[in-house]
Amino acid sequence: MVQKTAQDCNSHSSNDIHISIIPNLLESVGHMPRAIIKVQNMSKTFISKERKKFLRPEKRRIHALKDINMEIYDGEIFGLLGPNGAGKTTLIKCLTTLLIPTGGTAWVNGFNLQKEENLVRASLGCMLMGERGLYWKLTGRENLEYFGALYHVPKEKRKERVAYLSDLLNMREFLDRTVETYSSGQKMITAFAKSLVNDAPILFLDEPTVTMDVHAARELRRIVKELNREGHTIVYTTHQMFEADELCQRVAIIDRGEIIALGTPAQLKKSLRVQDVINFEGVVPKGVTEKIKAIPGVRDAVIKDVKAGKSTLGIMCDNSRKMLPKIMEVLLKNDVQIEYVQPQDITLEDVFIAKTGRALSVDTSEASKTDEGGPGGKV
Amino acid sequence: MGTAIAGLGLYKKSPRTSFGVFASVLKVRLIIISRYKGSLLMELFMPIVFAALPILLGISLASQGTPVADNWKMTAGTADFKAFMLIGSCTFMVVSLMTWLVGFWVRREMVTGTLESVWVTPAKKYLVIGGVTGYALIRALIAFIVSFLLGSLIFGVNPFQGNIMIAVVFILIGLMPLWGISFLFGAIILKVKEANSLINLLQWVLAFFMGVYFPVTVLPPFLRYVALSFPPTWMTNGVRASLLDVGFFFEHWYFDLAIIFVFAAIVPLLGYMVFMGTERRLKKNQGMGLY
Repeated sequence: MVQKTAQDCNSHSSNDIHISIIPNLLESVGHMPRAIIKVQNMSKTFISKERKKFLRPEKRRIHALKDINMEIYDGEIFGLLGPNGAGKTTLIKCLTTLLIPTGGTAWVNGFNLQKEENLVRASLGCMLMGERGLYWKLTGRENLEYFGALYHVPKEKRKERVAYLSDLLNMREFLDRTVETYSSGQKMITAFAKSLVNDAPILFLDEPTVTMDVHAARELRRIVKELNREGHTIVYTTHQMFEADELCQRVAIIDRGEIIALGTPAQLKKSLRVQDVINFEGVVPKGVTEKIKAIPGVRDAVIKDVKAGKSTLGIMCDNSRKMLPKIMEVLLKNDVQIEYVQPQDITLEDVFIAKTGRALSVDTSEASKTDEGGPGGKV
Repeated sequence: MGTAIAGLGLYKKSPRTSFGVFASVLKVRLIIISRYKGSLLMELFMPIVFAALPILLGISLASQGTPVADNWKMTAGTADFKAFMLIGSCTFMVVSLMTWLVGFWVRREMVTGTLESVWVTPAKKYLVIGGVTGYALIRALIAFIVSFLLGSLIFGVNPFQGNIMIAVVFILIGLMPLWGISFLFGAIILKVKEANSLINLLQWVLAFFMGVYFPVTVLPPFLRYVALSFPPTWMTNGVRASLLDVGFFFEHWYFDLAIIFVFAAIVPLLGYMVFMGTERRLKKNQGMGLY
């Protein structure tokens, strides 16, 4: 894999902005990490029908993945970050054999994705569909035993494993009720348990905490760390940056089907040539971001979030202490009603903003269609 | 080029765990249907209702004193038109359950979101679908026996006439090509992602060609050949001929059975190939999860 510096990573345009990070600890003891997943030139193009006309839908190519190259090391928690429609789920579906890539290939746990599909599947524990992956007319126990059987776990081991998972995830209270009676959090815990039923070396967790309450999500993250300490490799997708920061040893940021940054969270943040981020909450009229960006010393300005007419404007600059008066002056001159000002440490979202000029909350699924995606278009 | 190998966890492929896949799918289907008790009960009465309409029509026509029953005997080979209809509709229910079940299963798993959960496991698909079909088989045979006995009681038909053993063999062997047809239908559902309208249409095509209410010999020559190329037609006639002596298509029962054997050898293989081909085509585009 090509090694690049953090400086290179700051470029906006490069297609293969990968920082191959060898974790310092491993490096210091002279132990090279081994890739347990290796993705080579993987691309995926869909044909999608757009039903603008009643009888003759227009077919369009969607380039969901574009020439992805990456390695995931044995024993790490690897985060896949990106907005909705970026290609995270498509990449995971390709790596779990649910989709066949249009180009390129991958090796998972030493097995080739296309030639050894079943051994790839046997190497994985997956939580892809959240609570939708469960049979609601079965109890949690029946679900776990059923999926254990589908993973060829011998019957006696299956029972032991379900008992172990029930204790680990505190499921005893609801395990023998049908899933239809569970709360959302209980369903997600059961779906998580399902991904652990075969004790696979690699876990794919696609937004596992999405419907959990704060306490349950924290508990799940604790277990994820514990599983990682036991030696499991975990591929974790999320759009919650603090989760990635807390859990992942390395992250890849995906946007419009491309990996735009890859490295440890610390290195990605360090790669930004900005010192500070200031968030302004309030009513922000259109066009203000452009005026802020025009201030010398401001690196970027973007609307990060909009809720009930209130926006969060994130401004990245070199020295917030020095820049704040000037920024305030421009904001007030442009009728921005400021309700709250909050300086913050640089987050992975800021890395994403710096790379793309957009916030993570922007859905990019439309953007990777056709025209912007190179070859393609109407078919 | 390879990567690190970190073992396969608790995965242990063996004939025992492979059988475990089949048995677990079958068991889970039985558990789920047992939680919908009303539908099981309705299923038992369905063939009786199907048979009741032509039987009542036949009774009313025959009671006019015209030689309707004689005509029927000349055409169908038996004067016992009640038994003829009852066997037809009970067999039709077996065929119907078996034929649509894989398609229904695919559709239901698509909608509930469990199809991808099943597909991401290393279980061979023929074992999974085998389990689903095994469940359909159990359900269909129980429904056939119960509704045939119940229908016999209601319509005054002797259920123990003719050669029951040969009839059972016709049903059991006749189910195998249905397995293949169910794969084909499952493939169509995977592709079109809709089951109801297709079933509504094909249900009556199926009933027509397998001769639920009439012997297929009354069909015009072209349609007769179409009907004879359809495996359930041979099964239905085999059961009727064994129990009611209406005559096999060939002179002896074992010739008819041989034809069903040929269907049993070819159709499931063909159906499975089409099903897996459709699955691959879908995975090359947007996958199996869309519905």
